[in-house]
Order: sequence, then structure tokens, then C-alpha cells
Amino acid sequence: MLLYIARRLAWTVVVVLAVVFVTFFVFFKLPNGNPALRFCGKSPTPECIQLTTARLHLDKPFYIEFGYFVKNFFLGDENGWPGLGYSYGNYVSVRSEIIERAPRTLWLIAGAATIWLTGGVAIGVLSAVKRRRLPDRLAMGFALFGISAPVFWLGLMALFIVWKELHLTGGSGYVPLSDGVGHWLSHLILPWCVLALLYMAIYARLTRNNLLETLGEDYIRTARAKGLPERTVIFKHGLRASLTPIVTIFGLDIALLVGGAIITESVFNLQGLGWLAFNGAETQDLPTVLGVVLCTATAVAIMNLVVDIVYAFLDPRVRYA
Amino acid sequence: MSRPVRRVAAVLLSAGVAAAVLVASGSAARSSSAQIKAGGTLNVGWESSFGFTDNLDPTGEYLGDAFGILDNLLVRTLVGYNHTAGAAGNQLVPDIATALPKPTNGGKTYTFHIKPGIKFSPPVNRAVTSHDFVTAMERLANPKDGGQYAFYYKVIKGWDAYAAGKAKSISGISTPNDSTIVFNLTQPTGDFLYRMSMPATGPQPAEVTKCFEGQPGKYAQDLISTAGYMIEGIDKVDISSCSAIKPADGYDGQTHLFLVRNPNYDPKTDGTRKNYVDQVRFTVDASDVDIYNKIEAGQLDLATSSIPPSVLQKYATTPSLKRYFHQNSGDRTWYLTMNITQPPFDDIHVRKAMNWIIDKAALRQTWGGPTVGQIANHIVPDTLFNFKLQSYKPYKTPGDHGDLAKAKAAMKGSKYDTKGDGTCSAPQCKNVLMISDTRGVDPGMVATIQQDAKKIGITFKVRQINGAYPTIQTVAKNIPFAERPGWGKDYADPVTFFEPLFDGRTIIPTGNTNYSLVGITQSQCRQLHVTGDCSPYNPKTGLGVPSVNSMLDKCEPLVNTEANDARTVCYENLDKYLMTNVVPWVPWMWSYVTRITSSNVTHYQFDQFSTTPAYSMISVKS
Repeated sequence: MLLYIARRLAWTVVVVLAVVFVTFFVFFKLPNGNPALRFCGKSPTPECIQLTTARLHLDKPFYIEFGYFVKNFFLGDENGWPGLGYSYGNYVSVRSEIIERAPRTLWLIAGAATIWLTGGVAIGVLSAVKRRRLPDRLAMGFALFGISAPVFWLGLMALFIVWKELHLTGGSGYVPLSDGVGHWLSHLILPWCVLALLYMAIYARLTRNNLLETLGEDYIRTARAKGLPERTVIFKHGLRASLTPIVTIFGLDIALLVGGAIITESVFNLQGLGWLAFNGAETQDLPTVLGVVLCTATAVAIMNLVVDIVYAFLDPRVRYA
Repeated sequence: MSRPVRRVAAVLLSAGVAAAVLVASGSAARSSSAQIKAGGTLNVGWESSFGFTDNLDPTGEYLGDAFGILDNLLVRTLVGYNHTAGAAGNQLVPDIATALPKPTNGGKTYTFHIKPGIKFSPPVNRAVTSHDFVTAMERLANPKDGGQYAFYYKVIKGWDAYAAGKAKSISGISTPNDSTIVFNLTQPTGDFLYRMSMPATGPQPAEVTKCFEGQPGKYAQDLISTAGYMIEGIDKVDISSCSAIKPADGYDGQTHLFLVRNPNYDPKTDGTRKNYVDQVRFTVDASDVDIYNKIEAGQLDLATSSIPPSVLQKYATTPSLKRYFHQNSGDRTWYLTMNITQPPFDDIHVRKAMNWIIDKAALRQTWGGPTVGQIANHIVPDTLFNFKLQSYKPYKTPGDHGDLAKAKAAMKGSKYDTKGDGTCSAPQCKNVLMISDTRGVDPGMVATIQQDAKKIGITFKVRQINGAYPTIQTVAKNIPFAERPGWGKDYADPVTFFEPLFDGRTIIPTGNTNYSLVGITQSQCRQLHVTGDCSPYNPKTGLGVPSVNSMLDKCEPLVNTEANDARTVCYENLDKYLMTNVVPWVPWMWSYVTRITSSNVTHYQFDQFSTTPAYSMISVKS
């Protein structure tokens, strides 16, 4: 197992570097004009464009820039390790920006993931156990709503009703945990619920379908015939076997949200990593985009590894060399 | 609802909104019944990101919204403005200088005397001297410090030599004593005092700025103020050495800018700013909808943000909300640009026909209708000519919906009117490349333009580019037509429109702003890979490239005096000449700046120089 983990970690580094390389390539080859123009005012002079191009290192070929980036990443720069350079837009170090914003995204994901996993599985189990009865219909109706309602609409409606009209929660914006748990929670509960709703619906359907399939297996019939309590049959034997695909997509969903919860972050003004990446892409701010891409790629690779390890615990047939 | 009824309803709605606009617009200041009191905090929301061009460093910062912050709250200059709306807001007044100097030496020398009692904020804590202006000008001249409008000051003797590293100082700036500074110019420059009102010319302490040499934008987080406010936490910054300097807490460059009162500011030295509030807090918000929800809830007082159409309509038409709805001239022209070297726009008949056919009212409707601006009839907004060209409408059509008959009459005589029926029927009139952006308004604008142009035989092939400016600013791309551009003044002198937009000598390969290529020569065309016809203009055929360089040179040295406004009249004539003899654009709107305030704001004022809220003149409930 340890050897397997070590091998996978080594591959993670290779995969992340490949992703970063492609990002460099796309940025330099996109015919979208010189980013230096943005920083030379509305009447840019040739001297300003030239100097700014040199200052932002846009005058070198992309593979040389990539080389500098890799070197700074592994050895660090004046801001510490890993070295991620400076934002083109405000000269703030990308590393400090990511450290500042990562907690917002991570708290958003953590809270939402807890809600959608527990809620989705619980609803899925209830729906499977009470198949074709009222709880099942209600659960699947809820799932349909959750999958159909756009996140931005849900977010805006939630803010309008819960915050603006009913004053039940704090409004938009991120409040750090150091400002008080209650205050922190009141600003995150709405984005958690909104982000979780879509995934909860998907997980509920997935859990229901998998569990129904598993509950039809011969060994489940045997377990019931042996007189095991129904709760033990469902949770210990049925659910455990159904969780493998859930674990797979859970890992991927978490990883992709690291850089991808842009809509929720925008609607609730959380200004996390997704928002940072979006702004960076809009303003051709390569260092910022690279920083977030690196985080996301690393998160995907590591979560894939975690999922594989969890498999080994869930399914005794799985063993890694 | 049937189509005729829908049309009537739309007309009534537009009329109602226009009436609301007439009531709302043109007001210099709006106060509630609550008395104006000092104190409190002004909370300003900023949509998406600050978007500063140089991180708010006064030397390089060129964003109009940033000028509002610098000019009102942080940076005093030798001359400034009254921070009010309309023509009065564009009038120069002394700020740090004791008076507006009259030029001597044939218009080439300006001598300023500095008021006593002007000090830098903590942690510098000393009096401003003439040398601090030299520091600012040298930073502006040094290309490595990121100055973005240094070209305005090339008229100062010795500027170019210093910028090229060939001189240790700018020879045309002298400081006979600590309270006097003299500028010697290479030629008379009628708008020189306006140029000295720009934030980059405000005094800067060398003991701090020397630590940021060659690092554009970095000084911003340790900006030392001379105005009524300073960055929160700047007083705690250790400036004993460059290595000790850390950014002030109140500004992180990305999400917030918090300003508090500058204890060293003496209001008796400042006749232009009231500085009612104790603090001004700018915070970035990812969503414009969220911003206006917060304004309604009183968590924000004001915003620098696009206004969702539903919010705009609500505030413009609800009687109880109208007092929170503020509209002023933006001193900005939006226009369709035609490249006069590219067919079919290399023929003045076609350019005139486009001016006659375009439905400007429909274009404005895609932006929101009369609430967002006035129909533009010529190059420079009327406010910059003190409304003297208000009745000059060379291409006026009924309802501003275009006039097909006049367009066809204008087209007659064009080499592209091969059928002689007043339409552009030559093959060059088909599939003409139009560059469009990807803003929400662009698809509607493109549809209107295509529909109108088709009536006179021109069809477009549209290419949408996110962030279209770099493309249309690249001369070698030979873009015939673009619907994206807009241009706002830098200061209230028409030269800030004409020179960057129509001087053939300023055309550069990338970042070019003379999109129409007015005045480009054949030699420039070869160097810049222009593929079209660059021969000099032939008035008989209407083909070729007209130039206004000589007219620009004639207007530039003129100065308005109490006896006559020779400079303004010269530029008015240039505007007319461009609209009738060059016709590079179809100007279609002079946009308003619309702001919505919360019920906390007891007094709102607009700053015409920066076309932003006059932050130093706004009061809130405290």
C-alpha cells in the first residue's frame, strides 16, 4: 500500500506539471493581444508597452517562462515556497492571495460536502427503502428540483428571502472564523445549502439506484433469511456495497470545486479561489490563473488517491501492490 | 399583448423614464431633508475587482474611477477643481497653489507658489515643498515607474532627456525656493494648467517613493496623502528604511481600500473639499445584484458598479426612490468607428451614408434607453464646449432613427454605388468585417447595425471577441469597422479627445487609439502593414486619407482668456470639420454616469473632473 501511495504521489507531480504546461501554452498562444496593453493606460505609448512587456516577462518564449515558473515553484521565490510569482494586476504575491482565499473556498466545500453527503445518502436510503411510496416520490421530486434549479437563481432567491426579507442569516461576504463562530456560520449557511442542493439531489438518486440494485442481490436475501435485523441488512451489507461509486464521484466533486465554485462564490461574494481564477482569466493575469490551476490540479490528483485508498477499506477485494 | 399595444406601452414607458431623467439629470448636488453633518462612514461597493491600471499608484494610475478616489481623498495637486457637477466642475481652481498662474515668456513659463500649511500624512509628517513636486514629475518621466500619461508633459524642457536617462534632472523644472516651482516649456501649451491637475503631478515624498523605484504600482499600498484622508494603518508603517516598509493594512490591492482622516490635513488650506465623513471604505463585491441589495439594506451607501436594468428602472420611475437616483454627464462619447483606409469606408460618401442610416435611438435602447445617455451628434460631448455646439446636429434624423432617403442621397457619387441607386452595391460592400465585444449590450447593437447597414447595401461579417480593444488597437489587423469604442476626457479640454483619436502622428502599431487612422501617411501605412488605400485625400472623389494635423497644431497653443475663448472656438471648428469633411465615426451616445445612493446618504455630489461621486463632498447619517 505504501509503495502504491508513493507511486501515485510521484505521478501527481507529473500530471500537475503537464496541466501547468498546457496552461502556459494556451495563454501564450491565444490571439487575445498583449496583456501589457492593459497596464499602459488608454493611450499606450510604444515605450510603455515595451517596458511593461519586459517587466511581465512576456517577451520570452513560453517554454522559457515555464522553466522559470517550475524553478521558482520548487525552489521558492522572495515570498517563500512555493514560488508563484506576482499578480500582473496588483503586484500582490499570488502565493499570499491563494493563502488568503483558500480558506473561503475550503470552508465552502467542507460545509456543503458534509450537507450533501449526509443529506443525499440519507434521502437515497429512505427513498430506496420506501420505494414507490410517498417518501420515495417526495424524495425524487426534491431531487428533480435540486438538479433543475440553477445555482445562481437559488443563491439569489435564498439571499432575497432568507437574508433580506426574513433576516434569518448574515448577508453575503465572507467572515473569518476568528470573528466568532456564530457570525462565521451565519454567512456560510446559505452558500452551503445552495451549493449542496444540486449535489444532494444527484447523490440521493445515485444512492437510491445503487442501493436498490444491491438490495436485490442474493447475499442480501441470505442475510434476511438468516434473521439479521433489517437495519443491519441495509446499512452494514447493502449501503456499504453501494457506496463505492458515491465515493468515486465525491472525491472528484470535492476536487473540482476547489477552483470551480465560481457561481456560488460570486453570488454570495465569497471571493474564493474560483472567483480569483475567473478574474485572472478575464484580465489575462497568467500568474494568478496558474496559481489556481495548480491548486485545482493538485486537489484532483490527491482526491483521486484518497478515493482509491478508501476503496481498499470499503471493498476487501481491492488490494494495491 | 398585441404588437401595436406593445409598441404604445414601450413608447409610454420610454417617455415616463425620459421624464424621470429630465428631473433627475443636471443636478449638481442632491440633499435630503436631513441636515448635512460631519461624521460617519461612507461605504462604497466596487463590482468584481478594482481594475486599477497601476494599483492606485498616482504616477501610473489612469482609471477614471481611481481619479475620483485620488483627487477627492488622497492627492492634492497644484491646481484642481471644485468637485461639483457640470461646467462648474470642469473649471480649474487653485488647490496647493496660491493662485492660477498666468503664463509668461510667450506662454512658455508657468510659476506656481505653494500655500503654507500643506503637510504629508503620517508617517512622513512634514511640510510639502516644491521639491516634492519635482519628485512626482521625475517619477512620471521615468519610464520604469509606470507613468501612463507622461506624454502630456513632454512639452516641459528637458523631459525627454531625463526620460531617456541622459540627464539627472528635468531641466525645465526649477525650484528657486521651497515654496516656488517654475515650469519652462518648449512651446506655448494652452491646456498646461489642466495637465497640472492630474493626480500624477501631486507631491510625493522622495524618502518613501525612492524605495519603489522601478516597481510600478507598489507605492500605492504606502501612498502618503496630502488630502483629507489617508490609508488606514499608514501611520504605523515604518519608513526608517526601504527594507522596513510594509504595505499599510487598509489597502490590499484586491478586496478593500479603507481610508481614515489625515490628522495633518488643514481644511483652512483647502477651499474645494468639505470631507464630511470620518471614514471611506471601498470594498469589492463579486455581484452587482448583491451590491444593490446591500444599498437597499443600508449596508452600502454607494457603488461603482453597473446597475442591473431592473434596479435602474425601479429607481428612475418610483417617486419615493428618485431622490436616491443621480445622473450626470459622463463626458464620454460612444461611437462606431470606420477605418478610412479599408473599403468601403475609404470613401467619404459611404461614411456619411452610415451616419444618416444608423438608428441611434435603437442603439441607445440596447443599453437601457434615455436613462443611460443622450444621443451624440458630434465628436466631443457638449459639456466640454459649454453647450455652444448643442444645436450642431449635422446628421439629425427624425427620432434619431435614421433616414434612408438622406443616406441614399449621401451614397450617390460613391465609387461603390455601382448601380447609381444610392446603395453600396460593389462586392466590397458585402461581408465587411465588424469587430464586436461580448458584453451584454453587444449582440443587440450588432443586430441594429446590421439591419441598418443592409438598407444601404452593406452587409457585415461579425467577429465577437471578448475584450475587443487590443484587436481594434492593432493597426496591422486592418479592421474596417468596430462597434465597441467609447472615449472619455482626461480633463476638461477638448484636446484630450482630438489628439489621441485623430492625430496621424500618434498612430502606433499596437495600443493605437486613432482607430480610423485619420492622418496616416503612405509611409506609415507601409511600416504598419496597412493594406488599404493610404493616398492623400482627394475632395473631388472623396477617396483617400484626410488629415487634421495642421488644425490640431493651430489649436494647441491657444489659451482661453477672459476676453475670448479662442481655444474652445478652434476646437469647435475642428469638431465640425471632422464631422463633415473627414467623418471617421458614427457617434451615437454621450453616456450619463448614474449612481444610486442609500438612505444613509444625506448629501450627494458629483465630481465632473473624474466623472465619479465627489467622495469629499458626500455626507451620511452619523
